[in-house]
Amino acid sequence: FAPYIQVEYIAVMPRKPTRRGLLQNPPPSTFSRFARSQALIASAYRSKRKINKSKFYKKSRSNFSGNGFENHASDENSEQAESSDEDFDGVVQADFAFFDPKPSDFHGVKILLQTYLDEKQWDVSGFADLILGQTTVGTVIKVEDDEDDGVYSVVTALNLGRYKARNNFCTISLTVAAATLLPITCCNGVDHKCIAEIKEFLRKSCKEEDTMNNLRSYLGEQAQDVGLLISQRVVNLPPQLLPPMYDALFDEVSWATEDEPTEELRNSFCFKYYLLISRIYKHKTADQQKRQKSDEAIVYVKPEDEIFHKVPVCCFYRPLTELSHSSASDSFNLHLSSAPGPSVSICALSNLYLMRQEMLKDYRLMGLVMAVEASKVSAFRGQLKSLIDEPS
Amino acid sequence: MMSGFCVGLQFENSCEIGVFSKLTNAYCLVAIGGSENFYSIFESELADVIPVVKTSIGGTRIIGRLCAGNKNGLLLPHTTTDQELQHLRNSLPDQVVVQRVDERLSALGNCIACNDHVALTHTDLDRETEELIADVLGVEVFRQTIAGNILVGSFCAFSNRGGLVHPHTSIEDLDELSTLLQVPLVAGTVNRGSEVIAAGMTVNDWTAFCGSDTTATELSVIESVFKLREAQPSAIVDEMRKSLIDSYV
Repeated sequence: FAPYIQVEYIAVMPRKPTRRGLLQNPPPSTFSRFARSQALIASAYRSKRKINKSKFYKKSRSNFSGNGFENHASDENSEQAESSDEDFDGVVQADFAFFDPKPSDFHGVKILLQTYLDEKQWDVSGFADLILGQTTVGTVIKVEDDEDDGVYSVVTALNLGRYKARNNFCTISLTVAAATLLPITCCNGVDHKCIAEIKEFLRKSCKEEDTMNNLRSYLGEQAQDVGLLISQRVVNLPPQLLPPMYDALFDEVSWATEDEPTEELRNSFCFKYYLLISRIYKHKTADQQKRQKSDEAIVYVKPEDEIFHKVPVCCFYRPLTELSHSSASDSFNLHLSSAPGPSVSICALSNLYLMRQEMLKDYRLMGLVMAVEASKVSAFRGQLKSLIDEPS
Repeated sequence: MMSGFCVGLQFENSCEIGVFSKLTNAYCLVAIGGSENFYSIFESELADVIPVVKTSIGGTRIIGRLCAGNKNGLLLPHTTTDQELQHLRNSLPDQVVVQRVDERLSALGNCIACNDHVALTHTDLDRETEELIADVLGVEVFRQTIAGNILVGSFCAFSNRGGLVHPHTSIEDLDELSTLLQVPLVAGTVNRGSEVIAAGMTVNDWTAFCGSDTTATELSVIESVFKLREAQPSAIVDEMRKSLIDSYV
């Protein structure tokens, strides 16, 4: 089963009065989101030019709204957005639904995981396969009846000690094996490649001695009790979805401790700790005394991080490597690594990016790694609800 | 040099290598940034035969989707800066005509798919652009859709020897396109079921580069339709050189 959430989200959407003629033949079907993003990039450049009369109409599904949130209409006859700085009027409704992870979500989940370990080139595909292989715990958020089947958020908890490498002769057959999702739980003691890469990454990025000792044990002998809490989403996912999403996750974890077929699996969900890899904006002068009182020391990209950060068992900041392509001119890149995650419309992203640049000019994006006790979860759920519900 | 197939390519964890590179029979363009690994794979496969040039277009790295070219020429969008244009003119062989195009559909790589003889274009391309394509690239131009998609440059990849198109292309469309292009075509996917063929791979007459998610089945389809096993790169390039020398005489 999957809980169904309906979010009636009031946002704005461009409504162009000009209507183009319809094709005699059935109009071309929507192209993939990738191609559409490319088309949007192209259209953003010609915002000053007049649109020539054209015989086809595009379904423009991503729209920019003034308050920085964005939604996809479930049914649409809209014309192409001409430029992103016009005045908008109108209302968009989006129905988000929660699903169990399925193999067909591979591409969407992979996109959300691209910047999980910052710039490091690692086995993202293998990691996505592990997430999708675990159907009992984990949720994927999609829009109801979305043609593209796009994944807007993924949340799951993976036991760090569970996934071991299979013996294989070459990487191609591993891909085929992963494609058929054979269970990757053989116990020859060597970690699965992506898990090993994550552990290596964490070890390398921790600079503090005491935290290092804790971390080593979480990644080593205590790995069986540690759940890697993965929560990735598009930048502008409505926050109202977060409490039910985390409720679903923690409920599924507790059900799995009872419902899983083997004792080994049941025990693997008895987490003592959750490990989170995330990002925050830290004020450039946060460590000094002279900072303005009105500025927050830390701006959390994901609101739930603030709650976790209050009660970590251990945590450390990691500096993000200098991103060679984070100049403003690269805002049209598909892959804005300096943003905390992908967002669905690239054209709108440039404005979002500029807005955020302005607000956050005194802050520096940093990585944050936290370990929290699993016993704190119930308190967390309540706090998250009140955090999201409070008018801010 | 052996013909080949390079698999397992990634550009910063993305398998969409056709976005960050452009491969033709006369040159190869690679995006700046990404790891040195990406560039060096192209270098090691191609350096003896054709130049591998690092560039950006309009300050972005998505060069494979913004430009269109073949052995005769390279078309760049109006967003290309003067420095980039000059850099490309300097780095590419003299017989390759580098031209900036004033076309509102500026993602030329998505709108135009071509080999050395034929080009398929977006149905809405300007008349002038179509003529420019025919002149600069030396090709016959056809306005087409592929499986109902107008971005022909994204949903197919073809060389002078074969082509791969969107998986939902009907048999009739396949036959029609095959007749137009005069090469065998197959409908398939790349990068584990991705329909955006041209984003996931890049190909010329003797070699192909595919993203690391590409399955063994997809690889074998690509290898057979593009006839990569039998290709002899030096022979192909020598053929081209001979024909050029003839034209000066």
